[in-house]
Amino acid sequence: MTESLIWWSIAIYLLIAVGIAILSRQGKSESMSGYFLGNRQMNGFVSALSYSATTYSAFMMVGLAGLTYAGGVGALGFEIIYFAGVSLVAIFGPKFWAVGKTFGFVTPSEMLGHRYNSKRVAMAVSIASCLFLIPYAAVQLAGVGYLLQGTTNGAIPFTTGVMLATAIAIFFSYVAGIRSVMWTDSLQAIMMIVASTLVAFLVIQGLGGFTELFDTLATEHPQSLTVPGTGLFSFITFLGLTIPWFFFSLSNPQVSQRLFMPASLRSMRQMLIGFLVFGFIYTLVSVLWGFSALAAFPDLESADLATPSLLASEFVPPVLGVIVMIGIMAAAVSTIDSIMLTLSSMLARDVYANVKPGASEKRQLLVGKIVMPMIALLALGFAELELDLIAVLSVAASSGLVAMVPAIIGAFYWKRGTAAGTLVSVLGTGAFVLFIYAIGNSFLGLPAGVWGIIVSSALFVGVSLATQPCRTSADAFMQAVDNELSRNKGKKESPTYEGLSASPGKTP
Amino acid sequence: MKRNKWIWLVWAVVLLCYLVPYALLTHVQAWYGSFLFWTVAGLAVIALNLFITKEFEEHGND
Repeated sequence: MTESLIWWSIAIYLLIAVGIAILSRQGKSESMSGYFLGNRQMNGFVSALSYSATTYSAFMMVGLAGLTYAGGVGALGFEIIYFAGVSLVAIFGPKFWAVGKTFGFVTPSEMLGHRYNSKRVAMAVSIASCLFLIPYAAVQLAGVGYLLQGTTNGAIPFTTGVMLATAIAIFFSYVAGIRSVMWTDSLQAIMMIVASTLVAFLVIQGLGGFTELFDTLATEHPQSLTVPGTGLFSFITFLGLTIPWFFFSLSNPQVSQRLFMPASLRSMRQMLIGFLVFGFIYTLVSVLWGFSALAAFPDLESADLATPSLLASEFVPPVLGVIVMIGIMAAAVSTIDSIMLTLSSMLARDVYANVKPGASEKRQLLVGKIVMPMIALLALGFAELELDLIAVLSVAASSGLVAMVPAIIGAFYWKRGTAAGTLVSVLGTGAFVLFIYAIGNSFLGLPAGVWGIIVSSALFVGVSLATQPCRTSADAFMQAVDNELSRNKGKKESPTYEGLSASPGKTP
Repeated sequence: MKRNKWIWLVWAVVLLCYLVPYALLTHVQAWYGSFLFWTVAGLAVIALNLFITKEFEEHGND
């Protein structure tokens, strides 16, 4: 593919995406929930596509294919366990949605602060999220940089790719907040799934078909079809990778915030199932890419080059290669803009508004909009450090965010949970995970990913038991879940009920 | 049994996703080994979620 083909394609993509972003505007959003939650009126289809695009980032196409190339089928297992973890939405989704509606929460950290009756909890969760998610966003940016550099043989350098993605992400977030992000995400998700499936199909055909591909792997790289395989996926490493990702749908605010947005539980169901179908196809496609690259180019110097090599290969027509490449860039952008939006809403709502009590919604929104580009620039800085092994680095973010999980589960299921327990668990686990990474990601033989959930659970339960809970806020919170969900459930019977009340002698 | 109790079946699938490939399929170097197992596990997760969230349909738009 030529440099001019790439630039032209990027220009066409931008034209379409900018058009969609502008069309997605619906009047001026002056409230926090309007701008950051789409007024809690998002429909299921757009939510599903956007949830998919936000979750599946450049990490999948570049990182997961690379991980499959380097470590074999274990990469599929890793992703399927993550995928199964999204089932947590089936349990926690309606609860988030119910309290969000009742109390008007905009951010997950605001929800925790309210539940544990502590501003400090809201602030700590927000700041910890920034600490881990900005590097995660940086990983996505770096993914774009590698990809453009790899597919163009360096004609579009790393830095240009990274800056381009940052600029687009800032723009998409600014146009109409979450609405423009979700609509552009949807375009990107459709583009990604169609083009990447087509590539997998063409490449596998080019390599002689599915059976031939797996026969080649079985003869030349037999270990790639088993775990621990070449050794990359030892059981301990596998645990360390999968445990934090299993909790991703709760621990990562850019996706848990989505649970406040659907217009109804029916929309939430569409979001969940739509995501699962999308994710399943996308996972298989990415893994098959990695396998195909292993069969076709067994001697690449870095596993991260698996995807770029495949796209630049003879199997893929240049135009399709470029479409996928832009799809991957779009995937990174759709993850970054959601992260930026979520983090800026948290900083405005849970840090600024708590430091300056009485700050109006309008003022909070302004602060959010000022913070947004700053977050993007920080991520850009991290990306420029050009750190290797994309997958492993983004898992570092997940290990740290797992710190929120016990407090979130406790919020809905354990009245004895306390603000002190949450604070110590979030801050203590964050610090502990960073310490483990600093000493080489192994402590007593276990990686940070395993320690994260153990330490955060122990701290949350231990400190909560040693301190006094705020019973009133816990009761009000849990009662709100029951009330909202049973109120909604009542609606289903409303036709019958109305029918009854219409009959003579019956009062409603 | 309430539908959301079926979530435990999802967690059982997750447990099997660790046990089966690492204990039983370590020597099956073919597509019908761990590759097939995890693929089927993924499909099972979709089917279970469809079932568990069926009641969400009853909560219409408001």
